[in-house]
Amino acid sequence: MSAGKMLKQNQGVTSSPKSRLLGFATLLGLVTLFVFAFFLTDPDVRLHPTTGEEIGQFDAVRLLYLHVPMAIIGPYLAPLVGAVASIGYLIKRTPWWDVTAHAAIEVGAIFCGLVLVQGSIWGRPVWNTWWEWGDVRIMTTLILFLMLLGYLALRRVVADEHKQARRSAIVALVAAINLPIINRSVEWWESRTLHQKSTLSELKIEDLTFFTLMMGIVVFLMLFTWLVLHRFRLGWLEKESLKQEALTAIEERRAVAVTNEEETS
Amino acid sequence: MTEDLTPSPARPERSKHRRGPIAIIVLLLTAVAAVLFVTLGDATLVFYEVDEVVEQREELIDKRFRVVGTPLPGIVETTVGRESAVLFTFCAQGVYVDVVHVGDPAELFQPGVPVVLQGEWVSESLPEFQSLPNATRDGWYLSTDHMVVKHDNDYRTDPDRITDIESCGLKE
Repeated sequence: MSAGKMLKQNQGVTSSPKSRLLGFATLLGLVTLFVFAFFLTDPDVRLHPTTGEEIGQFDAVRLLYLHVPMAIIGPYLAPLVGAVASIGYLIKRTPWWDVTAHAAIEVGAIFCGLVLVQGSIWGRPVWNTWWEWGDVRIMTTLILFLMLLGYLALRRVVADEHKQARRSAIVALVAAINLPIINRSVEWWESRTLHQKSTLSELKIEDLTFFTLMMGIVVFLMLFTWLVLHRFRLGWLEKESLKQEALTAIEERRAVAVTNEEETS
Repeated sequence: MTEDLTPSPARPERSKHRRGPIAIIVLLLTAVAAVLFVTLGDATLVFYEVDEVVEQREELIDKRFRVVGTPLPGIVETTVGRESAVLFTFCAQGVYVDVVHVGDPAELFQPGVPVVLQGEWVSESLPEFQSLPNATRDGWYLSTDHMVVKHDNDYRTDPDRITDIESCGLKE
């Protein structure tokens, strides 16, 4: 079923029975995640093998159950979906790809901003700093965030629909160049940067900590899907509404012209 | 005769509606340039390793720099002037450096947990270093005033499995 037909069936509403079910499951998942992250898991405390002193992040580790899932979506998945949809648009030139790219990048920009803010809150107790200009991952993520905002600003510039979609697609692809740099920065600049290396790829996590982190990733993926779905439907409705407005205007002008013609004859 | 009903092409918009988003785009591009300028232009943001700052000591005199390494056991709390300070020995890859850090250390600062320090070389022997078990006492120390903790990526609780904490003189 096409997106247009689907929205007609839903009479302009962005939700559907399936999306409502997804929304409810996501909400339930978020509540469960918060309970696991803030109450059921233990703080990160280990004994140093030689000094015997307690080391770790203590309660600050709980923020990572939200930070890591958000970081997978904001600076990686969302711009990647946006870039793939932009390539789709440049090949197919159909609005479906453009609206998909816009939806993914808009949601991605929100997640990217949240990752920077929430990472800063985590960084204060653990790193002893709110912000670190010398950290390559933070800087590349900040640059990506600014580029995503640039993409959204570009979409507000009044222009021909296709020209706007083409320009936006190019910006989305330029922003995507940053993605592998963000991902590999902790490896490429390992001893020159503050950010820790990936825990998941080296599996340096176990038991309930691992379970909670994986649950966080699944729940945030559901949240991302739900948000993008609704933003897509809203974007599609906006396009349909503009098209409808143009058709109504033409009909009105035609009616006026016919009336004028009848009066003169 | 029927009137031409074809919608006329939109007039080029040069109104406030167009200027706003363009101003935002210019602002964002400026912000990206500023981030790159700050990040790439400030040499103190580069992290040296302990062996590098010892090797390049002559070149680094009178320059502020950042260095990453691991504090060893035997941290001494003292005061410098009216400010609190900590004295310790700091190492990486078997190279040791004595440090005087002025100001409050990081909350998670302790032996065996890598830190990044910002400061400069001072050519002086301090008697306080006599009490540090691993002190180099080579007539030089690092005077630092900014400390951040470089946390590792290991969240496992079993101490036997902690293998990658850089600990120099400490056995893992």
